[in-house]
Amino acid sequence: MESKHKLSSKGWLALFALSVVVLAAALCVFNVVTDPFGVFDDRVLGWWSYDETNNPRTAKFSYLEQHHDEYDSYIIGCSSTSSYPKEQLDEYFGADFYNLIMYGADMLDVEQYVRYLLDNYTVKNLVLNVYIDNGCDYDREADPLTDAMPWQVDGSSPLGFYARYLFADPRYGWTKLMKLRTDSVIQDVHDVFEVDSGAYDKSRRDVEPIDSMESYLTNYPVFANYPQSAPVMDETENCMQSIAVIRDLCEAAGVNFMVVSAPVYYDYLMQFERAQVEDFYTSLAEVTPYWDFTMSSVSREPRYFYDATHFRNCVGKMALARTFGDDTVYIPADFGVYVTPENAAEHVAGYWDVPEPDPAQYTKKVPILMYHDLEGDSLPAAQLEEQIAALAGAGYTAVSFEDLRSYVEQGTELPDKPVLITFDDGYLSNMTYGLPILEKYGMQATIFVIGCSVGKDTYKDTGVAMRPHFSLEQAKEMMDTGYITIGSHGWDLHEVEGRDPDPIRRGILRRADETEEEYIAFLQEDIRRENELLHPILGKDADILAFPYGVHDTLSEMLLHDAGIYATVTTWPGENTIVKGIPQSLLCMNRYDITEEVSGEGLLDLIDGAAGA
Amino acid sequence: MSFTSGTFLVFVLAALAAYYLTPKRYQWIILLIASYGFYLTGGVGAMGYLLFTTLTTWLAGRVLGALSDRRKALPKEDKVRQERIKRRKKWVVLAILLANFGLLYAVKYLDFTADLLHLPRPGFELLLPLGLSFYMFQSVGYVIDCYRGKYPPEKNLAKFALFVSFFPQMVQGPISRFGDLAPQLTAGKGFDADQVKYGIQLAMWGYFKKLVISDRAGVIVATVFGNYTQYRGAMIFAAVLFYCIQLYCDFSGGIDITRGVAQMFGIHLAENFRRPLFATSLADYWRRWHITLGQWMRDYVFYPMSLSKPLARLGKWTRRHIKGKLGKIIPTSIATFTVYFFIGIWHGAELRYFLFGFWNGGIITASLLLEGWFQRWREGLRIKTDSLPWKLFQMARTWALVFLGRYLTRAGSVSSALWMMKMTVLDPEVAALWDGRMLALGLNGWDMAVVFLGVAVVLAVELYQERGGHIRIALERRHWAVQWLAILIPLAVIVVLGAMGGDYIAPGFIYQQY
Repeated sequence: MESKHKLSSKGWLALFALSVVVLAAALCVFNVVTDPFGVFDDRVLGWWSYDETNNPRTAKFSYLEQHHDEYDSYIIGCSSTSSYPKEQLDEYFGADFYNLIMYGADMLDVEQYVRYLLDNYTVKNLVLNVYIDNGCDYDREADPLTDAMPWQVDGSSPLGFYARYLFADPRYGWTKLMKLRTDSVIQDVHDVFEVDSGAYDKSRRDVEPIDSMESYLTNYPVFANYPQSAPVMDETENCMQSIAVIRDLCEAAGVNFMVVSAPVYYDYLMQFERAQVEDFYTSLAEVTPYWDFTMSSVSREPRYFYDATHFRNCVGKMALARTFGDDTVYIPADFGVYVTPENAAEHVAGYWDVPEPDPAQYTKKVPILMYHDLEGDSLPAAQLEEQIAALAGAGYTAVSFEDLRSYVEQGTELPDKPVLITFDDGYLSNMTYGLPILEKYGMQATIFVIGCSVGKDTYKDTGVAMRPHFSLEQAKEMMDTGYITIGSHGWDLHEVEGRDPDPIRRGILRRADETEEEYIAFLQEDIRRENELLHPILGKDADILAFPYGVHDTLSEMLLHDAGIYATVTTWPGENTIVKGIPQSLLCMNRYDITEEVSGEGLLDLIDGAAGA
Repeated sequence: MSFTSGTFLVFVLAALAAYYLTPKRYQWIILLIASYGFYLTGGVGAMGYLLFTTLTTWLAGRVLGALSDRRKALPKEDKVRQERIKRRKKWVVLAILLANFGLLYAVKYLDFTADLLHLPRPGFELLLPLGLSFYMFQSVGYVIDCYRGKYPPEKNLAKFALFVSFFPQMVQGPISRFGDLAPQLTAGKGFDADQVKYGIQLAMWGYFKKLVISDRAGVIVATVFGNYTQYRGAMIFAAVLFYCIQLYCDFSGGIDITRGVAQMFGIHLAENFRRPLFATSLADYWRRWHITLGQWMRDYVFYPMSLSKPLARLGKWTRRHIKGKLGKIIPTSIATFTVYFFIGIWHGAELRYFLFGFWNGGIITASLLLEGWFQRWREGLRIKTDSLPWKLFQMARTWALVFLGRYLTRAGSVSSALWMMKMTVLDPEVAALWDGRMLALGLNGWDMAVVFLGVAVVLAVELYQERGGHIRIALERRHWAVQWLAILIPLAVIVVLGAMGGDYIAPGFIYQQY
């Protein structure tokens, strides 16, 4: 106590109390600024996708409070609701949809939200997605931060609500700040939502290449060994009561109300007690008629699902096409039935009789051949003729990527033994030597051209001589024969060491010296220049692409997908399986590199078994 | 209601306000209400046990008191009736011991006994109520003290109920003595800012140890012990080390919170830990670790046993028949073994705890036996027993002994503990400690650094205290700004690095269904 700056114990207690207040206030400010749950309108960071991942219920609420005039229709339900694409909904309904999926939502959550929507926003259409789990959970105990409903929606106390988020663990906000630093345009586990549509961000999911069942089960082992559980549907009654309330609310508000029942993976449904399932789906028909996609051949094909409970967007697309009678889209014949009290019992009983689908009916193996120059070090024309003659002799029919696209998107059948012939780079020899042979045997082919080399015989920056490439006019001439399709090999993604100035770009991947932003700008510019070149002769943007050097990654695949590329090929040898209804089966397809060592017979040996059903 | 919950802080604040606003005569009633309120939040079912122990021990105290009074009133010459009353008192104590420890046994050890004897387990499930063994030991100690006539029994049942249930200490001790605690509980206290300040400081220190250090260390412990066959010796060794950190910071931290909260009410509870790291022998360790349990055992098990007639007779016999030191110490050793046997099974009803008890009893007995040898070695080697290196050697030796015992208390079974010890020695693979594998156990580099820094702070503070320093008093002499920093920084550390830790869910961690 010698110091004149001494502090009495009472003074100490006052300082202690002050410190507590200061720290509490600092915590509140931090939580409001970072707003990791989107409770305080996320005004500073505006990172809704992150907030919605932390708690879709609160963050989507805040987002809609600010943006609800951009939407006039809603689709709502648990996480499987996410796979009905907004574009289809908008198109079919002539509306602006918002996907109000909340993971783990039970029917009480949905009822409360619908009530709020109808009371406060403009709503023309309401689509309710019902999933089998809705019969198991109702009014679940929620995590106070990550599952909590906004107080405006569930009528809880605003005081308790804000207190929880103001004094929330600061690590939530801190993690958000840290993730912001390393955020990528590639969707990550911490930002799984697409803000505008409200659905899960499937940009990454939709460019995953899908191939044979064998490779799928390796990549998605969950389907090879489906997890066992013992689900109990003891909440059917509560669930149906809530659906009835939703139905009546919509009717009273004059809102167009539609119910869809989401596809359930076969192995999962079989774990339920049959009587409970029948009760659930027939009770639903008593409440409202609905479009039922619960069980069909789709449920028995793992490739239509991306995890144990979630079906892919392409399946959602088929479902919506069925409900709107869109016959331009491929839909399995048994997928989707309109269920009413009259047909409910019989239809639901049929769940247990859905046969295992025959892959020959909806999958096809297609070999793709890869050629380059037909002169010099590469394959001599005579060798090409031997190979093409062998193909023709063995009954192969050359098809185009457009034919594959019709197969997967519309279900248009392919010839028995299809084969794709492709040439990379755009060498003049393809025209002078290749085209006459193709014409002779009635085989069509696709040529992937390097934009910056078109019509050139020197490297663009160094002037070093190279094998001549055909011109745009020559390309057009070839297309006009009906035997040649032109695709993209990138405008300038194919640089060669020593022939192009350093640092060279060897393929489509991001270079180590580029930021993600720089890379995206670069690739978009490359795509733009390629289209600028090819659009005049194609009458459209290039929509197929061969990866230079065969390399690719998620980001490049996403950017190409955004640019309208529907099929891509690599240089990896092997067969391909394409699947009806799954456009992704046209991505990153394998190609056999055909060299002069391959005889006609050898070629047949190589691709035998890789073609057909 | 957990000490680390926000509810508890609000509860303490409310109780403090009510306590100091109430006239001194009635303050103890506030404490009683708060204590029963606290206990009720743990469930109504547990209340039965508390009431049972409270009532039986209070009644016993009253009966013993009445008997003593009657005995005092008797003329000294009436040996027969004197003896009769003495015998009756013994029966009362025996009945209380049987009733209470019988209940404890039924709740805690019945399944174990059935398994041991290969009998079917009893069909009923008894839930183990919060703090049962602590308040039971405390109340039974009171009965024995009454028997010994150490103090007059408490007449007021409500005041006695407060002694049994005083909320800060009932969950994890310390085990208090009636003579120390009861007068403090019922005496009125004016608001004393010093005491409240010291209490807050002590509790903050406890929260720091528990939330910042212990809860982090526990992550590694749970990972490794939960799947111990996956790890090689060095990592198992590291996990045991983390367990020592976790256990000490958790238990002593909890006791600091307890004593801190009590001090805010102006009540001083007995010390339960006195820097066990600085113990120079296993016996010394037990005088520094869970002190009140050790003292309870000493006063109510060890002394009565060593002084009892059968052991005295045995002692005479062994001294005659067994030559040397062994003959002298056999009775004491039996009492020692008994104490550590009880301490062992106090931890839980498992074989490994029996072994843990014997491990401690065995080492202490052995060190007594070998003391003469050690003495000669020390002299032969000319070791100065007051030198620092010798002290460090003693400490290290104690750590090793305690450390080995910890394998037993944390491993799932005796065999897994032995397996882990074997791995530690035979297959350490030391490289695992720095090639990144330690960071794959649930704590990242940052959290690991927090643990190590936290432990460094604890060590520094304890070294300072061991050398006679008093942090709180030293702080008082500093400039007020320094004192403020000494509030703000620890508070921020506890909040940011410790509090609210349990319910944090990393984004995207649970839901990856995009």
